[in-house]
This record gives sequence, C-alpha cells and structure tokens, in this order.
Amino acid sequence: MLIQRCLTAGAVLALLPVWATGVYAHDGTGHRGGRVADAGPYHIELVTKDRTVEVYVYDAKEKAVAPAGFKGTAILVVGGKPARVTLTPAEARLTGEAEVPVGTSPKGLVQITGPDGAAASGRFN
Amino acid sequence: MSPFRLTAAPRAWAVALALSALPFLSPLARAHEGHDDGAPKAPISKTIAPRGAAASAAFELVAIPKGEAIVFYLDRFATGEPITDATLEVETPAGPATAEAAADGSYRLPAPWLVKRDPKDDHLDLVVTVTAGADVDVLPLTVALPAAGAPAAEAGHAEEGWLHRLTELLTDRLAARDPGAGLAAAGGFLLGLAAMGLMRAGRRVPVLAVLVLAATLVLGAAAFAHEGDHPESRMAFAPPPADLAQRLPDGAVFVPKPTQRLLSLRTVIAAEDSYRRTVSLPGRIIPDPNASGVVQSSVGGRLAPPPSGTFPRLGTKVSPGEVLALVTPPVQRVDQSDMRQRQGELDQQIAIVQRRVDRFLKLAPSGAVSQVQLEEAQDELKGLKDRRTALDRIRQEPEVLVAPVGGVIAEAAAVAGQMAASGQMVFQIVDPGKLWVEALSFDALTPASDATARLADGRSLPLAYQGAGLADRNQAIPVQFGIRGGSEGLRVGQFVTVLAATDTEQRGLAVPRASVVRTANGQDVVYAHTAAERYEARPVRVAPLDGTRVLVEAGVKPGTRVVVQGAELLDQVR
Repeated sequence: MLIQRCLTAGAVLALLPVWATGVYAHDGTGHRGGRVADAGPYHIELVTKDRTVEVYVYDAKEKAVAPAGFKGTAILVVGGKPARVTLTPAEARLTGEAEVPVGTSPKGLVQITGPDGAAASGRFN
Repeated sequence: MSPFRLTAAPRAWAVALALSALPFLSPLARAHEGHDDGAPKAPISKTIAPRGAAASAAFELVAIPKGEAIVFYLDRFATGEPITDATLEVETPAGPATAEAAADGSYRLPAPWLVKRDPKDDHLDLVVTVTAGADVDVLPLTVALPAAGAPAAEAGHAEEGWLHRLTELLTDRLAARDPGAGLAAAGGFLLGLAAMGLMRAGRRVPVLAVLVLAATLVLGAAAFAHEGDHPESRMAFAPPPADLAQRLPDGAVFVPKPTQRLLSLRTVIAAEDSYRRTVSLPGRIIPDPNASGVVQSSVGGRLAPPPSGTFPRLGTKVSPGEVLALVTPPVQRVDQSDMRQRQGELDQQIAIVQRRVDRFLKLAPSGAVSQVQLEEAQDELKGLKDRRTALDRIRQEPEVLVAPVGGVIAEAAAVAGQMAASGQMVFQIVDPGKLWVEALSFDALTPASDATARLADGRSLPLAYQGAGLADRNQAIPVQFGIRGGSEGLRVGQFVTVLAATDTEQRGLAVPRASVVRTANGQDVVYAHTAAERYEARPVRVAPLDGTRVLVEAGVKPGTRVVVQGAELLDQVR
C-alpha cells in the first residue's frame, strides 16, 4: 500500500511539470483567440481585427482582471510603420481604434498602466 | 492500519507535493524570462549611474537619465555599430515624445517631468519605437532612476528615530568589521559578570559603581558615534556616478555606451561551421610559363640595336616576332686568316673560270667549243660566285633576336656594343596579366583546394591550383598557382604568403584573429557582449585557421556576440 502511494506520488511529481508548462506557456492563443504575453504581474491577450485593438488583462492565475482604472497604449508595427493606439477600458477589456487596419497578428507592444500607477508591457512578435 | 501509517501517509503526500511544486515553480520563472517585473536591477556599482537597457533582434538601446533629460544610445544588436540617424518615439508618462539626435551620436529626450516625479519612484517604464531605415521595432524599457535628493533622505531618517539609527550604526560597524564594537561587547559582558558577582556577594555600593561606570561608557560611546562617521555624512563625500569603464567584481567588464563608441567596439554573432584547415606557405610571384619568355643569344657576339635604332626599354610592350636586338658574332683571328685564304682561292678560281667562260663565249658560235662546255663553265662560275657571297655574308650578317611571346619587357640587359655570351639572357618578356605564384609546401596539397595569397600590404589574391612538383626543394615541394582575377600592381619575384586549404575539416566558430586576447596568465580569451554595456571574458581553445581568422574550438556557444574589434582595448580595462 505504501508502495502504491509512493507510485502515485511519483506519477504526480512527474506529471506536474507537464501540466505547469501547459498552463504557463504563453505562445499560442488565449481565451479569446488572441495572442498572450506577459506584462509584469499580468498576462495580456491581444485581439486585433481590422482597425479594432482589444486587450484583455488576466492575472498570473489566468483569471480575468476588471479593466476599470487601467490605461493602455498599443504600438503595433503595420507595414513597416509604427501605429500608436490609445486603449481605454470598455466592458471587460481595454480597446482602441487604430488609424490604419492592423491585421490579425501585428508585431508590437502593449503597455498597460494599472490602477496603482505601475506600468507593465507585453511584447508580441 | 496502524496509527504510524495514518500519520506517515499524509506526510509522504505533503513531501511529494512540496517536491512536485519545485518544477512547477521553475516554468513560472521561465515564463517570465525576458520580462522585468517592474523592479529595476540595482546599479551594479556605485560609480555607475542608474540606467536602463533593452534589446531586440535588430537594436540595442540604453537610456540614462541625466538631470531633466534622458539620453538614449542606439546600436545595432549584432554588430554594435552605432545608429545615429534613427527616429526614436518614446511613450513617456507625459505622452508620446520624440528624442532628438545629438551631435555625439546619442538621442536626447527632454524630460521635465522627471524632476516632478514621486520621490518613491525608483524606475520608469518607457516604450520606445525605433525606426531606422526599413527596420522598425518597439522596445519596452525600464529605466532605473537616480535616488531622490539628499534632503528627502535626511527627513526620512529623522522620522524613523534613534532606534533605526542605532541599528544602522551597528550594522554599519559590523559590516566594517570595526574592532571597537567587539571590544565594547566584551567589556559590557565583563562588567555584567562583575555586577552579578558583587550582587551575589551582597555588596550594594560596588554594584552601583559598576553600573554607573557602564552607563558612562555607553553614553560616551553614543556621543562619540554622533560626532563620528554617520552614514549620511559619509554619503555627502561619495563622488557622483561618473560612468567609467570598469572591471566588475565578477570579472565582467562594464563599458558605458559612450566609451564603447570611443573604443569603436564591434561584435559579430558567432556561428558554428566546418572549416578546412589552412596552411600558410612562403611563395613568390612568377611569370606564367606560357605567357612569358626570355630572349637569349644563341651565339656569343656583339649586341647591336635593332633596325629601329634603339633597344626596347623596360616596360615596353612588344609583340611576338618583333626584333629586339642584333648579335654580331665576332670572327676569330685564325678563322679570319682561313677565310682570307679561302676568299683568295675563290677569287682566283673565279678569275680563271671567268676568263674561260669569256673564251668559250667567243668560240661557241663557231662550233669550236661545244655548247655543253660553255654551260658547264658558266655553272661553275655561278657556283664559285655564290660561295664567295656566302663567305662575305657569314662574315657580316648578325643574329636577329626576336620576341618569342608578346608582353612587356621585364628585364633588359642590352647595351650597344656589349659582348653577349652565348646563352645569355638579353631580355625577359612577361605578360603582366598572366602571373603565377610559386609556393613551397611541406604538405601534399589537393588539387581542388582553394588558396589565397596575401601580400605584405594586406591585399589578398584568389589563387587556382596549377600543379605541384615532385622534386624536393629545401625539404619542400614547389606548388604553382595561377592568379585569378586582376594582378595589377604585382611584380615578378614579389614575396607572398599563400594560404592553402588542406583536407582536414574542423568544426568551430571562426573569429577574426584580433578578437582573441591573451591574458596575463597565458589564457586565450574572447570577449562576449552579454548585455548592452557588459562584456564577459570567455576562456577559449583556439586553433589556427587562416591568415585573418582563428577557429574557436571550445569556450563560446554559437549565437554569442563576440567582440571582433577593440578586444585588446577592452582587455586593458581594470
């Protein structure tokens, strides 16, 4: 019986890193089909469609954070030129309109400033 | 189930869980790699001003707050080359702004908001959009800020009170390994022992005396401490950060961006590849045997200019078959008398035969002499005259020296009237467009191997293998190469170093010879550019590769930015 428990513990021990990597890998898509990046204590998901830029903020445990009090700026490289988009809280996200269509996966950076004034930025390549 | 097992099982689970949490924590840390979580790194040395750095695949950016401005330095990531004509748009707390290019190659961003900030802020988060030509990149940058002014620090200390100051003093003393602190502690301990002993003995007065003594000492020490070296007063004498290139305690070298530019440090990203080992051979330029020639006299004789009147000068272009000189063979005295004798004989015979021909001509019409006799006599006369003429011609006609190939006169040894020995070279003709290199090799080279020749002035010529001899010459064999491409400015006989590839292949990272520095202990090191202003010496094992490069066989990983220019200067930083 003790051996069985040991085996179970060993299995858990072996599997946990796999699970952890799955949770914390930031490549690939997020909950809303956008790309996810680290931004200081937060994880941010960038969803772009045509000219609309939307940023969802999650905490380290992948729980959605209410965007109230947040400010944000997205600088996206579109066709070799940087496009600056100011993001404002709206419903469950930060959103803004770019002057030019930005496509679905532009390269760039999103900077968010939390309600406490601390800035953090996430890079999307 | 025994009670022991009941307690042991949850414990085992707890241990297992705790252990399994370890790998769980490490991916978390890895996930945040490359991101600073808001906390800027502490300045690595007190003489280095606070700063921030960011890098992308294309750029490397350093920002240094200076008073009411932030100075940016932008370089190419791979090479370390400064970029002075880029556009830097910065997201500041006061909105977007553009940094202006300054004359020294840096960019200056006026930041009046920097002095009005909250004194508690020790860092600043900026987003810099860099546009340099076709490259656009967005770089997040966390800039450490200099500590707020001294008055603020003083006020903070006043509020915290004496307890804080005492602990600070004690830690400071301990940190300084001050023997005074230890002595004071030992003294206090002894006084305490004395007081306890006296109390046990029931003597009140000496106890009081000991206590008074202790109080005096403590107060006196406190007073001394106050007028002594208080941390704040010492801070006032600390020199302001000067940003000097320096060797850090961990052996790395800190080089601020302005100094990097002064030393013109350049890097390359080392890539592993397989290289053919090359050998360097001593060689010299020779004329192409098929496009050069010598003009020699076959007989000894007196040199005379060609019919044009002058000998061709050095550098004169000549075409094949052109007459370059005439050689008149001298006639020896004995030969001369021989020839005179023969001449006399011939003249005599000619006179006799001439008379006979004349007589026969008169008699032949009358039939007294047959036509056959007349013709025989005429033929004999003709033969004698021919012999006489040939004798004259041999005496007078010189040997004509003609150019065997076209080219340029490379060597001329002709002086009018000079006696040229038989076989002596009078002219050498070389086609300057067709030169070869002959090198002495101690290894057998493969015909397909590539080779280059390096000249003393640093130029290098691509060579094509032509052939190698088998006959030993100075324990080496001669190998000939044709020069591919232009051979302007070369001269025959010039010494070159031939670098020929051998068959053995080696894997490693090729770096320029100048990037390997020998340290005082005899170790070969290269400097790796590990962060924007940080260089680390990496001990390496090197093997010779060719004239300009060496092969790093171990010590540097591919992808490392290796300093290729200025490594020697970097090594001088103390």
